[in-house]
Amino acid sequence: MLLAFGNFTADPSVNLQLLIGGLALGAIYAVVALGFVLVYKSTDVLNLAHGEFLMLGAYFALTFLISENLNFFLGVFVLLLVMLVFGLLVHYGIMRRMVGQGFFAIVLITLGIATIIRALLLIFYGPTERARLDLLPQGSFEVGGATVRYVDLIIFGVVAACVLLFFLFFKYTRLGLHMRAVADDIEAAAAMGIDPDKVYAMTWAAAMVMAGVGGLLFGHVTGAIDRSIEAIGLRAFPAAVVGGLTSLGGSIVGGLVVGVIEQFANGHLGTKWREPVAFSVMFVVLLVRPTGLWGRKDLERV
Amino acid sequence: MSSDGLDLRIEDLTVVYGGVTALDNVNITVPPGGFVTVLGANGAGKTTLVRSITSLLYLHKGRVRQGNITLGGESILGKKSPDIVKAGVAQVPEGRKLFPNLSVKENLLCGAASRSDVDAIDDSLEQNLELFPQLRPLLNQTAGLLSGGEQQMVAVGRALMSDPALLICDELSLGLAPKIVHRLFELLTEINERRGTSILVIEQNASLALQHAADAYVLELGRVLIEGTADELRGNPMVQELYLGGGGEAHTSYAAIERPSRRPESHGRRPPVSES
Repeated sequence: MLLAFGNFTADPSVNLQLLIGGLALGAIYAVVALGFVLVYKSTDVLNLAHGEFLMLGAYFALTFLISENLNFFLGVFVLLLVMLVFGLLVHYGIMRRMVGQGFFAIVLITLGIATIIRALLLIFYGPTERARLDLLPQGSFEVGGATVRYVDLIIFGVVAACVLLFFLFFKYTRLGLHMRAVADDIEAAAAMGIDPDKVYAMTWAAAMVMAGVGGLLFGHVTGAIDRSIEAIGLRAFPAAVVGGLTSLGGSIVGGLVVGVIEQFANGHLGTKWREPVAFSVMFVVLLVRPTGLWGRKDLERV
Repeated sequence: MSSDGLDLRIEDLTVVYGGVTALDNVNITVPPGGFVTVLGANGAGKTTLVRSITSLLYLHKGRVRQGNITLGGESILGKKSPDIVKAGVAQVPEGRKLFPNLSVKENLLCGAASRSDVDAIDDSLEQNLELFPQLRPLLNQTAGLLSGGEQQMVAVGRALMSDPALLICDELSLGLAPKIVHRLFELLTEINERRGTSILVIEQNASLALQHAADAYVLELGRVLIEGTADELRGNPMVQELYLGGGGEAHTSYAAIERPSRRPESHGRRPPVSES
């Protein structure tokens, strides 16, 4: 629910409405933050292009699901496959050469990638804004005086499923274990015969796929699809930081918390307060806990 | 059961970091099934030697300028680190370098990362737990929370998970109680004798390493200064003076190393060879 709700009110149904809208928005933040945190945790790269990744996902969703009019599931499959290939391209084409370079140089490279994606989208899709996606079931139902849209419910379910998949992948697969090992200590991982190059490639691919999911979902709730939706990357930043940049679980909770806070600020204080309040929460959390709520400093040997 | 030990030959190896030469024309041989130690102070090039063998120099912007490294007669120079592990080289890195946020079991499983015979990994895990029974109750513990001795056992166990033909231990004794270090060296000897695994131990604790190894090299400022059997080195006055004096790091300062020949008379004031 991205609507403004006007002035302050104590009406419980309005607050319930804000909570529901906040959770739906927060779920999208969570999925963005998750991709962001995944890259940061695994490759030590602060990826400022993640909002553009998501925008790429939204535009590809337009192409495969609207223009090409593919069957929904086939279209989603193609979308995620293309995103995966783009993730591999980002690694093998660019980021691979930056391994071992300074942190700041790499951050600037990600800004460069962001610019390239924006430029390519302008070239291939033009400056005209497109209508938002409408492939998920429309309509809504009432609970306790609040309206719940099916779209929001589906978004919430999809994000929950992604999170569960992520968790199972990292916990129970060999590649997931190797990715965690590289995140812990790249040199030790290499010494054990884990190929950091392969792990990094998989990380970028996974982040891109997550951005594809995020773009597909966000494309359904944004006002219109144009080149300003990359701002979602910046807006999800407080979510990632609040959760702790190194905690996948934290990014989920951070996303939900920031989403709900934003919607309440939006409903009770007015639209212009949304972002200031979200970033204020981030500042407060950083002042009190510099590692975020769930981020941790690495355990060190004594 | 483990692979048979393979011989490691390091021939005329020169390694540089930028303009700084870390290893200068180094020749070291580990015979198949052999137990060799390389001694030396901080900065002697010991860790660079390990990085060269395991192809991790690139992480430190180092490179091999000349020379060759062969394992079982085949050159492993220029191979990527996963391929070197696959070829049979496992290492216990300096400072253990466990994955602190992973459990003990996950750490051990990471040691088997290069293996494609997935079914045999459980057997290796079981063999490891027989070797280190203390680890069995700790399998689900976070590795970063273990004691130093336990961590070192995990580090050795993790290296053994790749079923290596050559096991390299870099500063196994660092920061550990003498009793634990003794036990670890006994285990290395056992692995060497029972499984035939070739072993290369990089050490500052010369007295202990020379008790267990068959052959030894002394590395100093990137060059091999002395080489011979462990017995020969134990009897070598310079080794006694520099490395067996107190058995500790205090006597392996640069000042002592750079002018070994000028201080031949000084062992009188050193404490006797210690067990630690």
